[in-house]
Amino acid sequence: MPGKSPSLYDLKKTTVWFAISSLVLLISLVAMVLEDSTREWKHWQKEFVTYSREKAEGELQKARKAVDQKKLAALEAQLVEAHMSANEQKSKVRELEKETAALAIKITQTTMRYQNEKQFQDSDRYFLEEHRLHHEDEQAAEFAKRMEERAPVIDSLKRDLEGLQAEDDARKESINEITQKARELTRQIQQLTESITRLESTVKKLSPNVATAILNAPMLDFMKPTLQIQQIVLENLYDDYFFKKSNKVDRCTTCHLGIDQTGFEDAPKPFQTHPRLELFLSANSPHPAETFGCTTCHGGSGQSVSFTTAAHTPQSDEQAAEWKKDYGWREMTHAISKMLPLSYTEASCTKCHGGVVDVPQAPKLAEGRRLARTYGCAGCHKIEGFEKQWKVGPSLEHVQSKLEPDWIIRWLMNPKEFRASTKMPRIFHLENTSDVKSAEKSDASIAGIAAYLMKNSDPIALGSLPTKGNPEAGEALVKEVGCLGCHTAAGVDANNFGPELTGLGSKVTPEWLYAWLKDPKHYSSETRMPNMRLSNEEAAHITAYLLEDRNEKFESIRLPIVKSEVVDGLAMMFLKGRLRYDDAQAKLNAMSAQERLEFIGEKTIVHQGCFGCHTIHGFEDTKPIGTELTDEGSKDVHKLDFGLIHLDHTRQAWFYQKLKEPRIFDRGKEKVYHEKLRMPDFGFNDDQAERLTTFLLSLQKEDIPLEMSKQLDLREQEIERGRYLVAKFNCQGCHTLDGQEGKVRKVFDDAGNAPPLLTGEGKKVDGGWLYDFLEKPVTIRPWLSYRMPTFEFDEESLTHIVRYFENLSEVPISYKDDTPKPTAENIEAGKKLFKAFQCIKCHKSNPEPGLSASFLAPDLVMTKSRLRPDWVVEWLMDPQALQEGTMMPTFFYDGQSPMPEILGGDALRQSEAIRDYLWLFNAEEAHGAAQPQVPQAG
Amino acid sequence: MGEAIKAAIDAFASPVSIFVGSILVFAVFMTFPKQCTTRWVSAVFAVLFLAFFAFGLTDEHFRGIVTKPDNVPIVAMLFIFGYFTWFAMKKAVDNDERIAKGEPPWEKTEADEKVMVFPYLIYIEFVVALFCSIGLVLWSIFLKAPLEEPANPTISPNPSKAPWYFLGLQEMLVYFDPWIAGVLLPTFIILGLCALPYIDRDTKTSGFYSYAARKMPIMFFMFGFWILWILLIIVGTFLRGPNWNFFGPFEVWDVHKVVPLVNINLSEIIFIKWLSQGLPSNWFLREAPGILIVLFYFAVPPVLMAKTVCKKIYEKVGPERYGVFIILMLMMLALPIKMFLRWGFNLKYIVAIPEFFFNI
Repeated sequence: MPGKSPSLYDLKKTTVWFAISSLVLLISLVAMVLEDSTREWKHWQKEFVTYSREKAEGELQKARKAVDQKKLAALEAQLVEAHMSANEQKSKVRELEKETAALAIKITQTTMRYQNEKQFQDSDRYFLEEHRLHHEDEQAAEFAKRMEERAPVIDSLKRDLEGLQAEDDARKESINEITQKARELTRQIQQLTESITRLESTVKKLSPNVATAILNAPMLDFMKPTLQIQQIVLENLYDDYFFKKSNKVDRCTTCHLGIDQTGFEDAPKPFQTHPRLELFLSANSPHPAETFGCTTCHGGSGQSVSFTTAAHTPQSDEQAAEWKKDYGWREMTHAISKMLPLSYTEASCTKCHGGVVDVPQAPKLAEGRRLARTYGCAGCHKIEGFEKQWKVGPSLEHVQSKLEPDWIIRWLMNPKEFRASTKMPRIFHLENTSDVKSAEKSDASIAGIAAYLMKNSDPIALGSLPTKGNPEAGEALVKEVGCLGCHTAAGVDANNFGPELTGLGSKVTPEWLYAWLKDPKHYSSETRMPNMRLSNEEAAHITAYLLEDRNEKFESIRLPIVKSEVVDGLAMMFLKGRLRYDDAQAKLNAMSAQERLEFIGEKTIVHQGCFGCHTIHGFEDTKPIGTELTDEGSKDVHKLDFGLIHLDHTRQAWFYQKLKEPRIFDRGKEKVYHEKLRMPDFGFNDDQAERLTTFLLSLQKEDIPLEMSKQLDLREQEIERGRYLVAKFNCQGCHTLDGQEGKVRKVFDDAGNAPPLLTGEGKKVDGGWLYDFLEKPVTIRPWLSYRMPTFEFDEESLTHIVRYFENLSEVPISYKDDTPKPTAENIEAGKKLFKAFQCIKCHKSNPEPGLSASFLAPDLVMTKSRLRPDWVVEWLMDPQALQEGTMMPTFFYDGQSPMPEILGGDALRQSEAIRDYLWLFNAEEAHGAAQPQVPQAG
Repeated sequence: MGEAIKAAIDAFASPVSIFVGSILVFAVFMTFPKQCTTRWVSAVFAVLFLAFFAFGLTDEHFRGIVTKPDNVPIVAMLFIFGYFTWFAMKKAVDNDERIAKGEPPWEKTEADEKVMVFPYLIYIEFVVALFCSIGLVLWSIFLKAPLEEPANPTISPNPSKAPWYFLGLQEMLVYFDPWIAGVLLPTFIILGLCALPYIDRDTKTSGFYSYAARKMPIMFFMFGFWILWILLIIVGTFLRGPNWNFFGPFEVWDVHKVVPLVNINLSEIIFIKWLSQGLPSNWFLREAPGILIVLFYFAVPPVLMAKTVCKKIYEKVGPERYGVFIILMLMMLALPIKMFLRWGFNLKYIVAIPEFFFNI
């Protein structure tokens, strides 16, 4: 060690270090300031300014071109001329201006004097009143006198003032006259070039200049920068930070600058206009930005102002890669709310729109919910709002009368083998149970289920067929009577609501099918299949036709051989769950081979949750087996088991994967048979999986204040109740209703043969009549072979459906007797008009064959019980207005009657007369009216 | 090649190997301080250490952990700790040599020459302050505050780690009941550090580094600081992953890793394993062996040590101060002892009285 003082004490060296450190500190401070001022959002705001300026410049050029140059030149020339002529009178103008200036002084002086006098007058009035009140008459008289003296002075001042103003006006008028032409021309020029001026000022405002550069300069930008964070603070919506809720603050518009403005539809991202401005963001849309913000629907971190920290979520891996490259994007692993990928945004609608069958304007979500209902998700999974969900599979209470055990076994092996379009999922022999051991167990379980169902179902009485049906007649009937309203059959695929009618010859007996067709409720009291009121022959024909089709491939599937030791093993596995080994063994020994099979069948039904979709004896009150899904859309991602699968750790990725391959998360895992995942494979395609994922994401609970969420009023609630039933019974399979075209209608070449349109039905028909009709349909259009089936609705459902129709048409509940009270004159006139318009030609009670269906119309005898009187008048006045494309002729074009001699030619009165006549119209009248027509028709 | 080295390191890494290895290095360093602080040996050590780090950084997982903004100060601490330990020991060894030769210590020669506080000292301090500011500014520019999501009471992060300076204490929780690891031992650490100047009041070596003059106290202190504090922080920070499972430095932290937990209490070892009879129903009887061992631990070794290894100290400081010192030291040593008992015999608790939450 050196004895001398260490070099650190060297002042010179310290100074060098001081210099170095000062320099580095300066650099790091500059870096700090730059780091702070070159923020991502500033870049976008600058880009937006540039973009807007270029856009405005483009528009400016267009505007310049658009101006009529000739006209402009002419106006400018005129202006010059006008100025010249005005200049000639310059001295006069100057003289006049001098005079008005002098007058202005006088006016001011006079005004002042006038106002002063008035002040004194007001003050004196006060004192006069005061003294009078205190009975000081002397003083009062004094003030009264003063006021009296002053009054004429005030009057004369006022007159002077008016005189002066008149003089002034005259002079100004003269000046105006001289300069008027020039001013008028200037105004015209301005008008012509108005858009140019406006755009020029915009461009100027957006062009870079020193002032904005200074305002936006680093360290100076605290004052009033033009680049600044934009934010929307939402009064009634909150971000939940678990221990504290805070108002939502959305700063998305800091970069998405054109989102709420029109004109940026083709702009590059992020400046693009919102694609649904009429529905979102704009002030007069149902969801204005100031009230709902952005993250309420899109999710993400509203307060963040960088691309990554706002928690943008890419749509696909490709987009993720693109974002990483372009924006340095990375996943925000810690964000509470990540943005929903755009394809799933509709999932947010249900936060506020609850209690509805379909969320309006959210097609993907609606489709997802429909799929969830169709495939019966709620059978296994509890979902709030889906409690009333019907069981989607057929009841198995009487299954032994319908099916053979072998068929059940083949079916359970793989339902799609029998019918590719079936909604029954595959439960056994999936990827996690495909090893030999598991497959043996699955085979045994299937045999067990078949055995259990045979044992635990009750037979029903099946009659024999009255005749051997004719398959060809049967095919025609299937196409005509209405089967196609729910089923795909006879090669026609209009509906897939009920099961596709194929291969039935390999499935059921003629006796069962006949009984089923005659009365579905006889076999299953809960079925949604309505009674088509088929005659015995019709039912026999259809039976013959449907049983013709066999699925031979399915019939030839080899039945698995069930080993008794596998059955015993399974039985023991179930028994050991509850009993000690020895007790379990003893119990097993006490069972016969058949009992063992039935036992594992019963346990498998519990394990797989078959009763979620099917009613099965012995499982009436068993709880569903699946995870509750009420909160699934907001479930913590950590709680989803991704297993050993490499997948994005997001809810949507998991849901999608689970729906596509329900057992995939068992891949690579070591599990015993009954611990394996149980969700069956529905065979969803990509679209279906995406829609269902949207639905699952929509199952979230967020505390939205009542005033912010959509509250259904009474009318809307009644409509939703109806919509539920319409969905359950597939009314739209046949009828055009509630904005949706009847699916089966496209099958008919002649629209007259298709089931009727029900748009505006509530306004058209009488509620009481509709109730009766739905309960017990009667023939309205006898020429239709398509028929309204009997659904055997209960009273509550009937009421709901009637109220649904009435509410859709906005018909209020009315207790007024609206039966027409016809006068003799009206009846007479109505009868005449009825004849003249040849109503009976189409509206026949018994239409004879020959006329095309489109020219046939309902029997008018029914009118008085069926239709609403007001509607009839409205209909007669202008049928096309109520139902576009109807074959009903318009008699009163433009409200003009072709029969001026009747009722003074008043179209409205004539319509009422016809209506009144119709209210007296009965079978006799109809017969009478029809008689003279016969020879003409012939 | 690289992967093979990583795999080998991971396979070798375990709390036992790390702990035993570190104690060996510690022992070598404290036994041969002169050799260890020579230029060559220290250079080799430094190069090896840096090489390990450089190699480690090629591994994604290792890089992820050491460059995590929370962990950066701990990485810095490793280097700082290494440097200052080396520096102090080097000075101490130098001084010892000088003293042996009859020369005054190095600090003394330096202290003879005097300079003014201003400008010399103030100036240097000012420049150092500037460099500190630069460091902080740059740090704040390049490493953002490691904020996570708002705390969610339903999800606790896994691993749930204490602030880095408490990670040593958290590591102790593996071996001790919370009240010992979280309350008793920290209290003793604080009290012990406060008591140090009153236990050793010798001013003979004040003002300069020296190892030879207080070999024993320095060794005890360094054991506590190096092994029981710094090393535990390193283990807690870099090698403890989800569920507080141990992971090798290059092993990916798998949340689902399952390791068997087969630890048993001393009473169970004695009464069930050895004596093949049930546990006595009376807790006192049941825990009597454990209690006896603990009492023995605090009663017998102090006396023995006073007569043997610590004879010098005992004579120097007297029975009261020796008592305090030895209790502190035994408390400190209890930790490695318990660790070895756990590793060697799967011992959970020496005394386990769940009746009133008293476990040792």
